[in-house]
Amino acid sequence: MNIEKILTELSNGCAIGSVTDAVKLLEKQLSKYGTIEKSNGLTRSLTIKGKDDYTLLIDAHIDEVGFVVTDVSDSGFLTVSNLGGIDLRHLAAKPVTIHGKKKVCGVFVSTPPHLDKNDAVPENISKIKIDTGLGNSAKDIISVGDYVTYRQTADILNGDTVCGKSLDNRAGVATLILLAERLHKKRLPITVEFLFSDAEELGLRGAKTAAFKSTADEAIIIDVSFGDGPDIPATKCGILGAGGMIGMSPVLNRDITDKLILLASDNAIPYQNEVMGGKTSTNADAVSICGGGIPSGLISIPLRNMHTDVETVKLDDIISVADLLEKYILSGGLKNA
Amino acid sequence: MLENFKEFCEINSPSGDEKSIRERILSEISPFCECATDRNGNIIAFKKGKKRSAVKLMVDAHLDEVGIIISAVTPDGFLKFQVLGGIKPSVLLCRKVIINDSVVGVIGCKPIHLTEGEEGKKLPSTDALYIDIGCSTRAQAENLVSIGDSGVIMSDFVALSDNCVKAKAIDDRAGCYILVELLKKSSEYDFYATFTVGEELGCRGAKTAAFTVNPEAALVLEATTAADIDGVSDENRVCVLGNGPAVSFMDRGTVYDRDLFSAAVNSGIPCQVKRAVAGGNNAGEIHLSREGVRTLAISVPCRYIHTPSSICDIRDIENAERLAVYMINKICSGEV
Repeated sequence: MNIEKILTELSNGCAIGSVTDAVKLLEKQLSKYGTIEKSNGLTRSLTIKGKDDYTLLIDAHIDEVGFVVTDVSDSGFLTVSNLGGIDLRHLAAKPVTIHGKKKVCGVFVSTPPHLDKNDAVPENISKIKIDTGLGNSAKDIISVGDYVTYRQTADILNGDTVCGKSLDNRAGVATLILLAERLHKKRLPITVEFLFSDAEELGLRGAKTAAFKSTADEAIIIDVSFGDGPDIPATKCGILGAGGMIGMSPVLNRDITDKLILLASDNAIPYQNEVMGGKTSTNADAVSICGGGIPSGLISIPLRNMHTDVETVKLDDIISVADLLEKYILSGGLKNA
Repeated sequence: MLENFKEFCEINSPSGDEKSIRERILSEISPFCECATDRNGNIIAFKKGKKRSAVKLMVDAHLDEVGIIISAVTPDGFLKFQVLGGIKPSVLLCRKVIINDSVVGVIGCKPIHLTEGEEGKKLPSTDALYIDIGCSTRAQAENLVSIGDSGVIMSDFVALSDNCVKAKAIDDRAGCYILVELLKKSSEYDFYATFTVGEELGCRGAKTAAFTVNPEAALVLEATTAADIDGVSDENRVCVLGNGPAVSFMDRGTVYDRDLFSAAVNSGIPCQVKRAVAGGNNAGEIHLSREGVRTLAISVPCRYIHTPSSICDIRDIENAERLAVYMINKICSGEV
C-alpha cells in the first residue's frame, strides 16, 4: 500500500461541514475492507469482525480546521469566522478554497506596508478579509454559511516527510487505513470498529455521539500532537521520526497505556511518551466518559506547525503507530486482562 | 489567458539568481532582436524598428523577484535565512519555499497552542525563523542545500475570475511579459530593451544597464502596489485594479519627467495616476544615469505586491502594453 500517496491525497482533499471530498477518498479506500456505516455529518465507521465480540474502537477524526463565510461584500471581499483554532499570525496572503456554488480560490488580505508599518497581527478573525478577485460577481457564487479551507497541495520533504494542510488528522486517518488494509484478511482475536469522526475541531462533537452509539469495550484514539522545532521547548513536544506518542493521563486508562508501552518495547517499535496532567484535547476526553464510559488510550503522531496549511509529519511515525496497533489487536487488547 | 505571463510568474528567479528567467526570455526574444547578456546578468537588446528613432530610448523591466537566501544550517538540520528584498514577516510565517528550484522546505513556527501571553499576538522576527527541509542533522541538510543558496516562496498561478489572477512575482514578470511582447511584435521605431537584475536589492542591474545603453529617454515597465481593498479609504488606495496602468509623477526614488507623464495621462488609453509618493523602482537609477535621462514608469496595479499571493488584472497588463507602444512612438518620433 502506498501510504505516501494515500496521505497526500487525503491532505489535499477537504472535510469540513458539508464539504466531503476527503471523506469520499476515505470511503473509496474503506470499501475494499467491508461495509461502511454512515452516521451524523461526516462520521463514517467500519467494523472488522473477530473471533470474539469483544470490541476495540479505534478513532481518528476526519474533519479539519477552516472557516465559514459570515459576509460577502459588494466588492468581492469576504468576512469569515474560524472553525477550530486558527493562528492569525500566518494568514496574510494565504490562499484559500471557497466552497461556494463552485470551488473558487481566494486570498487573505495582506495590508500594504504604507498602511501597516508595524505588520500587526489582526485583532481577531473578522478583521482579516478574504479577497476573491470576483468583484461584484462574488455574491453570485458565494453565500453566507459557505465553507472555506486552506488551499494547499502536499509536498514531500527529503523523501520521508509530508508537508500539507489537514494532516491533523489525516495522518491519523491514513494510519487507520493502513491498519485496516493489514487486518481485513486476518483472523482477529477481537472485533475492531474503525471510527472516522466528524467535528473534533468544534469540540469533539462527532466522537461524542458516535461513541455513545458504539458498544465497544475499549477505545484507542489516534490523533496528532506537537512535534519538535527549534523554537519549541523539548519538554512540550515529541520528536518527528521517533514514533507515536503514547498518551499518559488520568483521563486515559492506565492498562491500555501500559500494554501499548510494553508491546512497543518488546517488539522494538519506536514510541515516545506524552504526559498530560488531565485533558488530552483529543477525542479521548469525550470517548472515555461517553455513555457508561469506554476505557480509552491515546497515541499521537508528532506534527509540526499545527492548524496551519503546512502541517508536517514523518511517514515512519504513521507506520510505527500502525505496527503498534496491529500488535495490540492481534494480542487481544485488554480482553484477557 | 496570457500563457507566457503565467509561465514567467511560475519561474523561480530571486534577486541574485536570475538565470532561469533570463534564459527563458532570451529564448523568447532572440529571433526578434539583437540581444546580449552583460557582465551583471542584464539582458541588453536592440529592437530594429521601421524607422530610425529621433531619441535614444531604453525600455526596462526587471528580471528578479523577492526571495530568501540560506545563511546557516543548524546542528539539527534546520536552515536559517535572510530575505532578498522587502518581504513582511507575516508573509514568511508557515510558507513553503523552494530552494535552488529543487529542494522544498517549510518556514515553521511554534503552534499558537504553545505560545504564552503576548507571544501569540505578535510576529516572530525574521531572524528567529527557520526552514524545515525534513532533515534532522546538519550533514543531511548540507547534502541538499548549501549556505548562499537562494529560493522563493512557492505559489501557483490561479485565475480568480475572468480578469484577475493570483501569482507570485507579478512584480515584475508583468513588466517582463510586456517588454517581451513589444520585442516580438514589429515596432515603428528602433529602441533598446533591458531586462535587469537585482532591482529588489537596490536597482543594481539598472544602474549599469543604463550606463551601457546611454539613453536619452527611458520607460520603466513595473508593478506597483494597489490598495483597493475593503476597509481602505479612497485616498489611501494608491491605484485600483482594472482602471488601467498607473503612471507616476513622483515616488521615493524618482521625480518623473512631467512632459512624458502628461503625454501618458492624455494618451486616451485607459490609465490612472498613481495617487501616492511611495515606493520606488529602476527609474530611480535610470533617470540619474550619466547626465540624466527623461524617464516615465508605467506600472501594473498589483494587490499584495511582494507576497506570494499577488493579484493583478490582465486588462491592466494589456493596457500597459498599449500605453508603452503609444509612448515609444511619441518619444521616438520626437513629439514629446
